[in-house]
Amino acid sequence: MCEGNCKDCEKSETEHDKGRRKVLSWSVGIINLAVIAGIFAPVAGFIGSPLKNKAKDDWIDVLGEDEIEVGETKEVKFKTMVEDGYQTIQREYVVFMRRYPDKIVVFDPSCTHLGCRVLYKKEQGRYLCPCHGGVFDEDGKVVSGPPPQALVKHGVRVENGRILVNRRAGIGA
Amino acid sequence: MAREVLSPEEPVVREVDTTQEERLIADRPSLKDWTDLRLGWWGFVRKNMDEPMPAGVGWWQTLGNLLMTLLAFQFTTGVALAMFYSPGTESAYLSVKHINEGHPVGLFVRGLHVWGSTLIVIATVLHLLRVFFWGSYKKPRELTWVMGVMIFNVILGFSFTGYLLPWDQKAYWATTVGTRIAATIPVVGQSMMVLIRGGEEVGALTLTRFYAIHVMVLPALLIGFTGLHLYLVRRHHIAGPVVPVKGPPVKFFPNQLFKDAIVVLFGVGLLAYMSLAMPPGLDGIANPAGTDFAPRPEWYFLGMYELLKIMPAGWEVIATAIIPGLVTMGMFLVPWIDRAESRHPAYRQTIIIAGIAVILMIGLMTLKGVLETPPEGGHQSKPPDVSATIKQ
Repeated sequence: MCEGNCKDCEKSETEHDKGRRKVLSWSVGIINLAVIAGIFAPVAGFIGSPLKNKAKDDWIDVLGEDEIEVGETKEVKFKTMVEDGYQTIQREYVVFMRRYPDKIVVFDPSCTHLGCRVLYKKEQGRYLCPCHGGVFDEDGKVVSGPPPQALVKHGVRVENGRILVNRRAGIGA
Repeated sequence: MAREVLSPEEPVVREVDTTQEERLIADRPSLKDWTDLRLGWWGFVRKNMDEPMPAGVGWWQTLGNLLMTLLAFQFTTGVALAMFYSPGTESAYLSVKHINEGHPVGLFVRGLHVWGSTLIVIATVLHLLRVFFWGSYKKPRELTWVMGVMIFNVILGFSFTGYLLPWDQKAYWATTVGTRIAATIPVVGQSMMVLIRGGEEVGALTLTRFYAIHVMVLPALLIGFTGLHLYLVRRHHIAGPVVPVKGPPVKFFPNQLFKDAIVVLFGVGLLAYMSLAMPPGLDGIANPAGTDFAPRPEWYFLGMYELLKIMPAGWEVIATAIIPGLVTMGMFLVPWIDRAESRHPAYRQTIIIAGIAVILMIGLMTLKGVLETPPEGGHQSKPPDVSATIKQ
C-alpha cells in the first residue's frame, strides 16, 4: 500500500503530484472565497443598509379645517424634524391640498414622470410640469404628456378640527 | 475532421468534412477563449501561476500577499465608510458616531478599517525586515526595494491623514501636535505647517485637505507604486533563500499560493476578531478650547513621540526632522549603502548591525510609548501641581 513515499508508490509520481496539486488548488480557492465573503458580506450589508432603513411615519398638523374651503385647492407648506443620515434636521415640505364636499385629498407635488415639482394653475384648474410638459387635472389625473400615472396622494386625517398629513407620499392615502 | 482556421499562410478554406457540431464549436468559442483572444488574459495568468519558485522559498514569502490582501480590504472598507462619512467640522463627528451606532455592521466595518491600518503597518514592517535581512534588495532588485519604501511611506501617510477624520479629541489634538512638527524645521517649517493644515490652525480646511489626500491622492500613489513594485517583482523573479537550497523549483500555484492563502486566512481572521472584540471608540467631539486632553499619536508614531520628549528645548528638529529624515533616506539608500557582493548576513555585518540598531531604537522608543500609554479614557492629563511654585 502506498504510504506517500513516491519511490514505493504503485501510482506514478505524476499522478501523486496531480492529486496533491488538486487538493491544494481547491484549498486555495475555498480559502480565498471564504476570506472575500467574510469581508465583503458585512461591507455589502453596510453599503446596502439604506434598503432596510425606512423613514418613520410622520403625521403633521398642517392646517385648520376652517382654513380651506370646499372646492379650493391650496399649496400648503409645513416643517418637520427628519432623520437625514447622521443628522436630525428641520426640513420644509410642500403639498397640494384640495377639499371636496366629503373628503380632503393631498397630492404630492412630484410629477410622476421623473419627479419635477408641478405648478398649480388655478385659472386653468391644472397642475403643469415644467420639465416635460405633463399636465394633471385638479383631481390629480393625467390629462396629457408623458406622466405614467396620477399624482401620488399623501395620507390625510382630520382630528379635532385640524388637518394632519402623512409626510411620506403614498402611505395611508 | 476539424475545419481549418484561416491564416495568412492559408487564406483559403479547404473543403474538408466537418460535422455541424464541429462547425458550431469552431464558430462559437467558449467565453474563456473569446476573452483570451481579445485580452490575452489566460497567458498572463498562466505565466504568473507557473512562476517557478526556487527551492527554499516558503512561508517567509507570504507577507507580500498578506499585505496586498489587507490593502484591498482597506480600499473596500474605506469606500463603504466614505459613503456614510461627511468631512465637515460640523458633520464629521456626527457621521462617524452614526456609523458606529446607527448601523448594525457599521461599527464592525469601521473596526476592520481601523485595525486594518495597524495590521498593515505590522505586515509592511515584517515584509521590509524580511527583505532587508535576506538581502533581497541587491542588484538587480534595487528599485523594487525603493518602491517598497515608497509604499511604506504612503501607508504612514494614510494613517496620519485618516487619524483626523473622526474629528474627535484624539484626532484633533494628535493632528495639532503632528502638524506642529513640521514647524520645527528651520526656515520653511512654518510655511509647511500652514500648507499641511490648510491654515494656521487645525480646522475645517485641514479636515477637507486630509480627506482629499486620504481618499484621492494617496490611493492613486499607492496603486502606482504597488503596480510598479509588482511589475519589478515579476520581472526579476523572487530572490530565493540566502543560501541556495537543493531541489527543483516549484510552481507558484498551487504550492506557494496555498501558503499565502493560509497566512491570509490567519491575518484576516485576526483582523475580524480584533474588530469584533475591540471595536474602535470615539472620544468627545474635537474641542480646540479643551485643556484637559493629553494627545497621543497612533502606536506606530509613538517612537518619534517619545524621542521628542527627550530632546532639550530648541533641539526638537533633531527628533522631528533630522533623525526621521536620516532613517528614511537610509532606508531608500540601503541597496547602495550595502556594498557587499553576497546576500549572506555574515558578509553584510555593517548594514545588518546598523539595521538592528535602528530597529532597536525605534522598537524600544515605541515600546516605551506603549507602556506609558494611559488606559482607555485616561487621556485627560492631571493638572500640574503648582502649589510649590506659589509663593506664600
